[in-house]
Amino acid sequence: MSSSELMIHISDVHKRFGRVHALRGVSLDVQKGEVLVIVGPSGSGKSTLLRCINRLEEYETGKIVVDGIHLDSAENINAVRREVGMVFQSFNLFAHLTVLDNLILSQRVVRKRSRNEAKDIAMSLLKKVGIPEKTNAYPSQISGGQQQRVAIARALAMNPKIMLFDEPTSALDPEMIKEVLDVMLTLAKEGMTMVVVSHEMGFARAAARNVIFMDEGQIIEEAPPEELFTSPRHERTKLFLSKVLSL
Amino acid sequence: MFTRRKPEIAEQELARIPGAENYSRIDVWWWLVALVVGVVILLSVISPDPYWRIILFVRDGLGITVFLTVVAFVFILILGMLGGLGRLSKNWFVHGIATLYVELVRGVPLLVQLIWWYFAFPVVIQQIGKWLHISILANYQSNAIVLAIFGLVFCYGAYMSEIYRAGIQSIPKGQMEAARSLGMSYVQAMRHIILPQAIRVILPPVGNEFISLLKDSSLVSVVAVADMTRRGREFMSTHFNPIEVWTMIALLYLVLTLFSARIVSWLERKTEFER
Repeated sequence: MSSSELMIHISDVHKRFGRVHALRGVSLDVQKGEVLVIVGPSGSGKSTLLRCINRLEEYETGKIVVDGIHLDSAENINAVRREVGMVFQSFNLFAHLTVLDNLILSQRVVRKRSRNEAKDIAMSLLKKVGIPEKTNAYPSQISGGQQQRVAIARALAMNPKIMLFDEPTSALDPEMIKEVLDVMLTLAKEGMTMVVVSHEMGFARAAARNVIFMDEGQIIEEAPPEELFTSPRHERTKLFLSKVLSL
Repeated sequence: MFTRRKPEIAEQELARIPGAENYSRIDVWWWLVALVVGVVILLSVISPDPYWRIILFVRDGLGITVFLTVVAFVFILILGMLGGLGRLSKNWFVHGIATLYVELVRGVPLLVQLIWWYFAFPVVIQQIGKWLHISILANYQSNAIVLAIFGLVFCYGAYMSEIYRAGIQSIPKGQMEAARSLGMSYVQAMRHIILPQAIRVILPPVGNEFISLLKDSSLVSVVAVADMTRRGREFMSTHFNPIEVWTMIALLYLVLTLFSARIVSWLERKTEFER
């Protein structure tokens, strides 16, 4: 997995929400098989950056290339979205569909798979994330941790080359965080390219090659997790870490 | 958006407490439907003249009332969906057209609209035909039922647009984002994810619209459509018995509306249990 194939290339991206300058010239590269963790205070633009990668947010200037596809036309945006899986803070499972149908629908609609093929893929992924028995439950009937694992399986069913995680454990009760992080660790070990917005230091230490600290729409510091957490170079990183670690 | 859904989830959980569903399955309001039907039958048996004669006389009008309402409603559902999506469109032109339509139509009484479509619209078409020398348009002959359905659809479509819009907006934004991030197009996401959920939300107001339409369809009696109301007036003009005629007409409308209300309520519960 040490091949240095570039999966995500971001250069000088700017994004404004009205008067708020959410991203101020962000540039970064993610190699194939790399796990990148982004930390930073709320409002620092880390989620916005993540959502720019699959164009859930538009950006004004700059360039984003995902797996060699330039994010410019509507066609390319859909092509990128097919290759990029996304996991949300609030799970966003389709509320009117069972767990199994949540996994099957997009495979049928987007990948044009037959129902049987989609179902086989769905069942094996549900086994992988540890919920093979709740296939006929509706999202509101299972726990948050289970919902998030189903959401991960739903994204994986599309065979993505990249997975984006937007604070995947922030809405979970403490005892459910581990079950979700375990699934993410397994994915990382299998060589999935991942960009993770999360303050789970344990996960970052175990899986990430690099951690990025963002503040006020800029990347302040990028370093291997151990280095960034124990000896940050910038004042703002130190201040932020002292607040997070003292909790 | 997400926090707003929490109470709803809690309610669903409550509804699943064993035993509770048995209470909600027995719909006592069916007895009211039976009662009104009973009164209609009783009156017809006790005093067939005039009551049974009235029913026989307005029978075809009743058919037209039901036909008008059902056909118009199918088109209203389609127009309302287009209008609602238009109101939510980011394209300023589409949004503008949809908003203009809703605002204008809601500001004119339905009766005036129906009269306009029946009396003014054909003349407009004929004038345009003469002006452009298109003989099909110049010789356009109005069809009362078609124009009545058109008028009802045009007016109710505006109200239905707002119901669709509210229903679609009530679905958390994350549902659309999840669908799009899986690679679905906007249309695919609407069709498979947003509308199926929105329809459950809007079912009660849509049911209300159906019942309102059933009642408002009586207005077409002023534009030469022989619906139940118009047939009632025709019967009265020859027999001069307003009490009997209008009591029976009122009872027949009640049977239709109460029955429809039960069907709507049954549909609501059916979709509720599928969650």
